[in-house]
Amino acid sequence: MFSEINLSIDSAISSGAKYADARILISKSRNIAAKNGEIENLNENEKIGIGVRALVGSSWGFYSTFDLSNESLKQAGKKSFEIAKASSTVSGEELPFADVPVVEDSYTTPHDENPFSVSSSEQIDLLLSSTEKMKKLGSSRAFGRLDFWDTEKWFASSQGHKIYQNIIESGGGISSLSVGDGETQIRSYPQSFGEYRTGGWEVVKSFEFENHLERLSQESQRLLVAPQCPQGTMDLILEGSQLALQIHESVGHAIELDRILGWEAAYAGTSHLDLKKLNKHKYGSELMNIIADATLPGALSTFKYDDEGTPAQRVDIVKEGIWTGVLSGRDSAAVAGVPPGGMVRADGFGRLPMVRMTNVGLLPGDSSLEEIIEATDEGVYMETNRSWSIDDLRLNFQFGCEAGWLVKNGKIIDMVKNPTYTGITPEFWGNMDMLSGEEEWIFWGTPNCGKGQPSQIGHTGHPASPARFKNTRIGVRG
Amino acid sequence: MKIWEDLLQDIEKNIPSGTECELKMMHSKSALTRFANSQIHQNVDEESADVFLTLHKDSKTITISANLTALKNPKDFVSKAIDSLNSSPIDKGWAGLPDSSKSFSGLSKIDESTPDERANKVKEFVSEGKQMNAAGYCSSYTNNYFVWNTNGLNSSDSSSSAFIDGIFRTESSAGSSHRGGILLSDIKAQQAGNEAAKLAIDGENPEDIKPGNYEVILGHEAVSTILVFLGVYGFNAKSKIDGMSPINLDEKQFDEQINLIDTPEDDDSIGFKIDASGSKKKNLEIVKDGVSKSYFHTRRTAKELNAENTFHELFGWGENFGGIGTNLKLLGGNVSQEEMIKSVKKGIYINEFWYCRVLDPITQVVTGLNRNGSFLIENGKIIKPIGRLRFTQSFMASLAPGNIVSVGNKSRYADSEFGEGMLRVPALHLKEFNFTGGVSG
Repeated sequence: MFSEINLSIDSAISSGAKYADARILISKSRNIAAKNGEIENLNENEKIGIGVRALVGSSWGFYSTFDLSNESLKQAGKKSFEIAKASSTVSGEELPFADVPVVEDSYTTPHDENPFSVSSSEQIDLLLSSTEKMKKLGSSRAFGRLDFWDTEKWFASSQGHKIYQNIIESGGGISSLSVGDGETQIRSYPQSFGEYRTGGWEVVKSFEFENHLERLSQESQRLLVAPQCPQGTMDLILEGSQLALQIHESVGHAIELDRILGWEAAYAGTSHLDLKKLNKHKYGSELMNIIADATLPGALSTFKYDDEGTPAQRVDIVKEGIWTGVLSGRDSAAVAGVPPGGMVRADGFGRLPMVRMTNVGLLPGDSSLEEIIEATDEGVYMETNRSWSIDDLRLNFQFGCEAGWLVKNGKIIDMVKNPTYTGITPEFWGNMDMLSGEEEWIFWGTPNCGKGQPSQIGHTGHPASPARFKNTRIGVRG
Repeated sequence: MKIWEDLLQDIEKNIPSGTECELKMMHSKSALTRFANSQIHQNVDEESADVFLTLHKDSKTITISANLTALKNPKDFVSKAIDSLNSSPIDKGWAGLPDSSKSFSGLSKIDESTPDERANKVKEFVSEGKQMNAAGYCSSYTNNYFVWNTNGLNSSDSSSSAFIDGIFRTESSAGSSHRGGILLSDIKAQQAGNEAAKLAIDGENPEDIKPGNYEVILGHEAVSTILVFLGVYGFNAKSKIDGMSPINLDEKQFDEQINLIDTPEDDDSIGFKIDASGSKKKNLEIVKDGVSKSYFHTRRTAKELNAENTFHELFGWGENFGGIGTNLKLLGGNVSQEEMIKSVKKGIYINEFWYCRVLDPITQVVTGLNRNGSFLIENGKIIKPIGRLRFTQSFMASLAPGNIVSVGNKSRYADSEFGEGMLRVPALHLKEFNFTGGVSG
């Protein structure tokens, strides 16, 4: 494949590009969805194509095509240059580009069983039996889904990179929906929208859906008759997957350097963070230690090189509450004067690589969920995300969860429905006073992070364990 | 188009007898010129050709898809589908294939925009902001869609669209605007730039106000977001089947000033005249004088609810997402935005909503924020720009009987949380809207 890629790169460079790189991808996906013991969607997809990126002056030009004939590959390189050159109508200062080691290497996600080698009927049967059983247990609707991706990437650059990677991702989830008088309640496992990791079929087997069917069905029905979540300012305890989304929205996006530099201002927004405050800004309490680590075995955003050829690495983002790092690529890092972090990826061959979260997670503390509940006089323990909204500076957020549990005098005393909480990012994280330990630290994965124009869907990881936040506004209702 | 004709010929001869088959191909060219900090920084162009093959036999169904390069040879592609079909479970929801009477031929050649043409539109937009910081994009799309099935249907259609969307930022404010149309030449980039620039300048040094219930005037983008939520979660027949839709047909659920139609047959509507099944779409009444009149159906939802198909199946999603209206038009009223403002004693103007999410599907209680142009109105005049507010509000209740004061007299394509080119809307004046939080939480 590298000789084909070089046809495009050579064409872009000979046309006048300062730098060019390209990726050929073979992307396979399998998506299975079931409802009430019947199949709702079964699709297998395969795509092959090339995306070529050329840097001219202040702009990237990018061209992608499914046509891998020699003539098309040369044209793709030329077009990427011409597209970049057209940007000179509204141009700026020349875009700098940081150097990274030029390597020839390969990497394959460690896995036991490639999910595409497993019979789809085995995977379908798991969903059919799970959803059928939940329906029989009284769920109004029982949903299940599994998704698998097998992506082969060949990356080369005009600087001499030649990198092959085979990334395998697997996951899914199940949900029980109960419909009452003018309301619906849902419980999901392992988390809402499913849980995803790098690895094979063993990832899904480890979820052991069969051990959670009865609980999900019972809890979704119980929520219909549960009292509303109380309203007021009190202690909030978050279960790990909800805390993972809290990290994603109020830390992960805020530390993306392209947002901080204004490159995403029109759509995704910017950030409340100002580079002048790096290593000074207080992001949260001293318990807050956030990392971005693309090397964690099995986490969803684990790889060996990003889509610019930069090695995967671990970067400290927040240390003992102080903001210390950003998510960067070779261009944004050069503009900001920081080392490139290897955090640039694209959604398939047809999209321009952009800054993406790797595994942005909260390092564990030394408590446990049990200890946190025991130490809480009055509060609500919230599980599993149901809704999420945050402003375009990543400051003002409001989350809803599937289930809440009222905590009084160190004990869970009742289930409550429609739990929500709201806050402002630095105040909220500043109020984190208890954090569970390594035993409850899970590599949660988010498979549906939208960013960019044209829109791209990213897969991001968020290691987290349960934590407590003091003085949080709870129970916002319309 | 030759690649379709060759593919169809090769697939057709490999379909085993007695097997129902549907073959679809989408050939697209899309381009997007993106600007930030008042310069073009990303400029992308893509050509794609995606093929979907669905087989149904012995009550089992399978869909496989690939782009043209991955498809390799059609015989193997069909063989792979047959292998998967054999291990598929029984598909009780199969609703069959449309017949030849639904065929439509609308294929035409559409000129693509060039990077230079898009850059010039960006320049027109950016120039309106003088020294302000501009960001946004100009995009154009051409699509050709082909569908064939063993029940005699053979349809094709072409479509194009173009958009400009951008903001200007000052140290303390931002203003945005959007334009959409069928061709890039239709796009009034300078007009959009002028609107965005005015909002940014007028919005400088905003002041925070207390959350609470306010009378509101909603700009085009804010109205568009409310309607797209109701379209996707409410009028989608799959939501009804799943017990999550608030819509009940023939009930007066909205103010009588609300008249919503889906207009795929109109010449100025963006998109294909056929749905993903290849069937010709028809204009459809969704809300008439406040009364809910129809859901958006696919073949499967129509079968399950024993209703008539409205042909709102989306390409690429299969029927997993249900029926989605993509040519929604909220009929305009007779009140200008200036007249709306004059009639407000105390209220808020909102240009655009941001990051809206459903808290409760049945009541359509949604939370989100305002951005890119929000102002306090008192005694018929805009008094001052205001900061961020968080709302927690039922979108059903926001359009409920008695809550619409007036409907604007100027409509245009507006962007929404779920994409562009789907809605043409005027501004709306609402009696009440519930803001539950301010900038400090």
